[in-house]
Amino acid sequence: MSDSHSHAAHAHHPEPSFLRKYIFSEDHKIIGIQFLFSSILFLFLGGFLALMVRIQLGWPHSEIPILGKLFWPGSAGYRMPPESYNMFFSMHATVMIFFVIIPLLTGAFGNFTIPLMIGAPDMAFPKLNMMSYWFMWPAFFFILLSFFVPTGGAAAAGWTSYPTLASVTVPVGQGWESPAAPNSGLGQTFWLISLIFVGISSMMGSVNYITTIINMRAPGMTFFRMPLTTWAMFITAILQAMALPVLTVALILQLLDKTFNTCFFLPDGLRFGNWYTGPGGGQPLLWQHLFWFYSHPAVYIMILPAMGMVSDIITTFCRKPLFGYRPMVYAIAGIAGLGFIVWGHHMFQSGMDPRLGTGFMLATMMIALPSAVKVFNWLGTTWGSNIQFTTAMLNALAFVAMFIIGGLSGIFMAATPVDVYIHDTYFIVAHLHYVLFMSSIFGIFAGIYYWYPKMFGRLMNERWGKVHFALTFIFSNGAFFPMHLLGVGGHMRRIYDPTLYTWLDKMAPINTFISVCAICLGFSQFIFLVNFIVSLFRGQVAGRNPWKSNTLEWTAPSPPPHGNFDVTPVVYRGPYEYSAPDAEEDYLPQTQLIPGQTGAVPVHHH
Amino acid sequence: MQKWWSILFGVVLAASFGSFILAYCHEGWWMPKDISTFGAGVDNLFYVILAITGFFFVLTEAILVYNMYRYIAHPGQKSDYTHGNHKLEIFWTSVTAVVLVIIAVAQIRVWENIKYQTHMPAPDQVFEVSARQFEWRIRYPTSTTLNEISSKWKEEKPGAEPTVARQWERNPHSDDVYVVNEVHTWKGAKVRLYLKTRDVLHSFFLPNMRLKQDALPGKTIPVWFGTKDTESNVEWDEATGTWKINEKWELACAELCGWGHSKMQGRLFVHKDLPDYERWLNQVTAKQDAHGPDADLDKPKP
Repeated sequence: MSDSHSHAAHAHHPEPSFLRKYIFSEDHKIIGIQFLFSSILFLFLGGFLALMVRIQLGWPHSEIPILGKLFWPGSAGYRMPPESYNMFFSMHATVMIFFVIIPLLTGAFGNFTIPLMIGAPDMAFPKLNMMSYWFMWPAFFFILLSFFVPTGGAAAAGWTSYPTLASVTVPVGQGWESPAAPNSGLGQTFWLISLIFVGISSMMGSVNYITTIINMRAPGMTFFRMPLTTWAMFITAILQAMALPVLTVALILQLLDKTFNTCFFLPDGLRFGNWYTGPGGGQPLLWQHLFWFYSHPAVYIMILPAMGMVSDIITTFCRKPLFGYRPMVYAIAGIAGLGFIVWGHHMFQSGMDPRLGTGFMLATMMIALPSAVKVFNWLGTTWGSNIQFTTAMLNALAFVAMFIIGGLSGIFMAATPVDVYIHDTYFIVAHLHYVLFMSSIFGIFAGIYYWYPKMFGRLMNERWGKVHFALTFIFSNGAFFPMHLLGVGGHMRRIYDPTLYTWLDKMAPINTFISVCAICLGFSQFIFLVNFIVSLFRGQVAGRNPWKSNTLEWTAPSPPPHGNFDVTPVVYRGPYEYSAPDAEEDYLPQTQLIPGQTGAVPVHHH
Repeated sequence: MQKWWSILFGVVLAASFGSFILAYCHEGWWMPKDISTFGAGVDNLFYVILAITGFFFVLTEAILVYNMYRYIAHPGQKSDYTHGNHKLEIFWTSVTAVVLVIIAVAQIRVWENIKYQTHMPAPDQVFEVSARQFEWRIRYPTSTTLNEISSKWKEEKPGAEPTVARQWERNPHSDDVYVVNEVHTWKGAKVRLYLKTRDVLHSFFLPNMRLKQDALPGKTIPVWFGTKDTESNVEWDEATGTWKINEKWELACAELCGWGHSKMQGRLFVHKDLPDYERWLNQVTAKQDAHGPDADLDKPKP
């Protein structure tokens, strides 16, 4: 699909204004970087919220220095009240999922890498792409504003927002408060509105990515010559396009329940104190089905891109072809496909018919299979290789090591009888953090250290990157592994005060240990932040291909100009031809002609 | 120098593995005492999965750490130029699939026994649990009513519920006893409880029974458990005229229900036998039937 228009057919574009070039940009690279910057800011907000949770669990009912005086003077006596605690963990998860991991993986890395890795000048729909970023800003506005609403503050019904705790409201005209919980009034309403915008942004992005990958691959770039990053982004985009509409609808239904007195999720005869809600007919379980129908595929949205990126980073720094390219692609597709039929495993104890539980259990057990296949193939890739321990590689290896733990712990909760015991305990919290923080976030760090030179033309500092990695690796394991132990002990999650329970109080030292590690983990991230910012201005200047990698983006300048490539690339081979015996170097770029090998004549594009 | 990375990984992973062993050995840091007739099913499945996942954890992490140690890049040398191994793919895919299918099939019976209504045995004891913001309000039938319900139940087919039970569940009797935050049963009893809520989601969690069930507004959910006939934690001490509590077993809410979610703490009392339970029931009934300020609250009803 080469562009064969003549030069004269295209008018020369005037240099765009600063506003059009960097703010309202239609260039996928700028949009990707915009997602990157906003998400990093939200990462620190989400981390702060997590530390507030850990302060309460580590030192229950203590007077919190500085922040206690700021947030809870007066009757709470500088101590954290339970409704604030509920708000902290609810907003921590909301921010991390919808404003950090999904925008980083799909918005930042998806946008930045897709056209570059397939040899396209930009996305199929640049204006739609720009809108997908700017639709995040109303989402930012509502979610941040929700912290300041007078009646209660930000949403505190969990990121899962189960009715009826989240969705009951007083009839129209009587204010915005909810009898179920103080934060389930205006705070929850803003939460719903914000997430609707996030969903729209993601749906726009996913449509763009699917179209671009199908239609705009460079000549010679067949599907099975695409790097795993692109495959992962492609399959993730399909997941988003199919699953998000369900969440968006569910959010709208809950919003109607709260603001227009509908009863989609409200059964008859709810009572809060003396207040009676009146006729219902709705079903709280319906929300759970709709919510998890999206949110289970969402967890795969939050890991598949990282898996793809890790495959590319590991092969680059092992100087070795990917072990099992096709099985790896099929495994991603398998995880995505199976991901649509397992949502009920979040609802085993919910009161839904237990026969459904048996069905969902069988499907959930099977999802472990493609995940295991991927782990084995990464191990196969590192075997017999030549490992270069760059910061990006360390983060990618950590992804593999931590994903093994996260994946294995999932098997416990897939087993329905064990889930009876560990559901809603810290075992679940441990599992989700191993796959989200220690897999996805290590994958994201790997991607940042790896593609930073392509984005900004400079390298991040390797020594400080390694310090950041080592501290993050040690403290994240220290913070999250002991949570498995809490869960085995039966320690519930979302619990403001475990000391009330004698059997939980015995595990208090574990909670304190976790909190100490979490605080150290949080502060270690500032090393990354400083490295990121300083390297923008003072980092070592990077050439086109500092890592000697094979994929197409490394043939373009660092950073690439608008339109990406000097000439439309022509692809001659797959992306993993490292250490080929008949090649001079230990890598062989996809676009490199070997003497004697014929290829198409490169064509100018405007 | 580069070898230190594999050592870092190895040490952290070994410490993680070690922490499981530490928790198992440390007093108060593992699963609480199991006093449930279906608890063994749950615990055994847990240990089987722990063994299998533990094995694969050690195997895969050891390979990873070994590779990081052994295959450090040296200038000038190239890696093995392999793209995969079809036989190996088939091997590790089938082995994993077989292991997963075995775990899946082995557990179905245990799940059915805990949750399927058709598998729930006819109960010796019935009560209703109303989860509220922020307490457990438990309604016990009198001994007479209970005898009627449990004997009628034993005559029913498996999975069926006698009319008298359904009616008691729907329409509280005037002589039912209401207790807050205390689950009382007796050693060896099979219990059927009706779980309800009128406000938000809650979850009835008895860790010692390995039992958890979410309460759903708009639905009454039948739940069952059975106490082992070797375990009890409370009995009436005739000598001192007080209740002697040997062990503390607790009830917790396991589904976020608002700011007071962690306050919903209850106690589980397993009396040493049925007469001991009935003594308690009589005492509570007497308290509720008190007439005026001069009623003798602590005197059990004759």
